Amino acid sequence: MATTTNYGWTTPDDTALVKDGASAIRTLGSSVDTTTKNLNPETTLADIAYRSSTANVKTRLGIGSTGQVLTVAGGVPTWATPAAGGGMTLLSTTTLSGASTTVSSISQDYQNLLIRIFGATNDTADGYWYVYTNGALDGHNYAGISGSSSADSPFATRNNVLHLGNTGQTHDRTSANNAHQILFVDYTATTIKPFIISGTYQRTAAYFEYNAGGANTKAAAITSITVKNDGGNSSAGTIKIWGIK
Amino acid sequence: MTNPIIRIHDAEANEIIDREMTQAEFAEYKKDQEKFAKQKVEGEAKAQAKAELLERLGITADEAKLLLA
Repeated sequence: MATTTNYGWTTPDDTALVKDGASAIRTLGSSVDTTTKNLNPETTLADIAYRSSTANVKTRLGIGSTGQVLTVAGGVPTWATPAAGGGMTLLSTTTLSGASTTVSSISQDYQNLLIRIFGATNDTADGYWYVYTNGALDGHNYAGISGSSSADSPFATRNNVLHLGNTGQTHDRTSANNAHQILFVDYTATTIKPFIISGTYQRTAAYFEYNAGGANTKAAAITSITVKNDGGNSSAGTIKIWGIK
Repeated sequence: MTNPIIRIHDAEANEIIDREMTQAEFAEYKKDQEKFAKQKVEGEAKAQAKAELLERLGITADEAKLLLA
C-alpha cells in the first residue's frame, strides 16, 4: 500500500481494485482524524499546544491563572507565578531624638540599603551630623572620593564615620532644610560594602551640597546605623530606611 | 548627674527605646565630642587662614578657584 509523504496515511495503490475503495477511504479518513487530533489537542478556551517528543503529536497546555507568565521548566513551556522582585520596601521610620538615634535589627533580606535622613535639627548649638554603623565608631573604614561645594569631604579624619555634609562644616542647628541619602550596596556582605552619599544642608544660612562614593571595609554586614550630632541633642528630623531587592 | 539619653529603634520589632547612655557609651560619647570640638577648631582656623590669604592677595574665593582651574 502507498502512503502519503508527510503523515504516512495509507492510500490505495494506483493499481488497486475499485472494490477495495470503501475500505481504503475509511482507513485514510481514520488516519486523517487521528493525525488532526494529535496536531490539535486543545480542548478548552485559551489552551495552547506545543510539539511533544513524538513527531506529529502536540501536547496540550491549559491556560494558567491570572498573573502567571509563560516560562520554561524541564525543556517545555509551563505557566508559573513570577517571583516577586525589584522595588523598594520601607523598613523603618524613626524620629531623631536624644544624644544619638540608632536603628537596629535592620533586615538582612535585601540586596541594597537606602537610608534617608532629613529635617535634622538639634537643641543646643550648630554641630556636625554624622552616621556610623553597627554601634561602633572604630574599625569602619570609609574611604572614597567626593565632590562638594566645599573643599572638604564627608569622610571624617579617622574615616570611621560618614559626615552628613563636609567634615569642616557644622550645620545650622535650627535649619530643617537638610536632606541626606546613603545607598549601601551589598550591605550584608562581610567584605567591602560600596556606598554613595549625597545631600544638602545649611550653614550660616547658605546652602551647601556634596556627594561622595567609596566603601565601608568593615568585615561585617550592616545591622544598625546611628545618627549623631555633636552640637547637642536632636530635636527633630527623620531617618527612613528602605531595603532594595 | 544623669548620662545623656539615646534612642534605639529596633526595626524588626518596630520598638523604640529611649534610655540613658551606659558608662561605656558615655565615655565614648565624651571622646567623640572632644574629637569633633578639635576638628571644629581646626576647620575654623583653616577657614580663617584662607580668608586672610585671600585678603593679602586681594582676590576673591572665586578668582582663586579660577587661578587653580
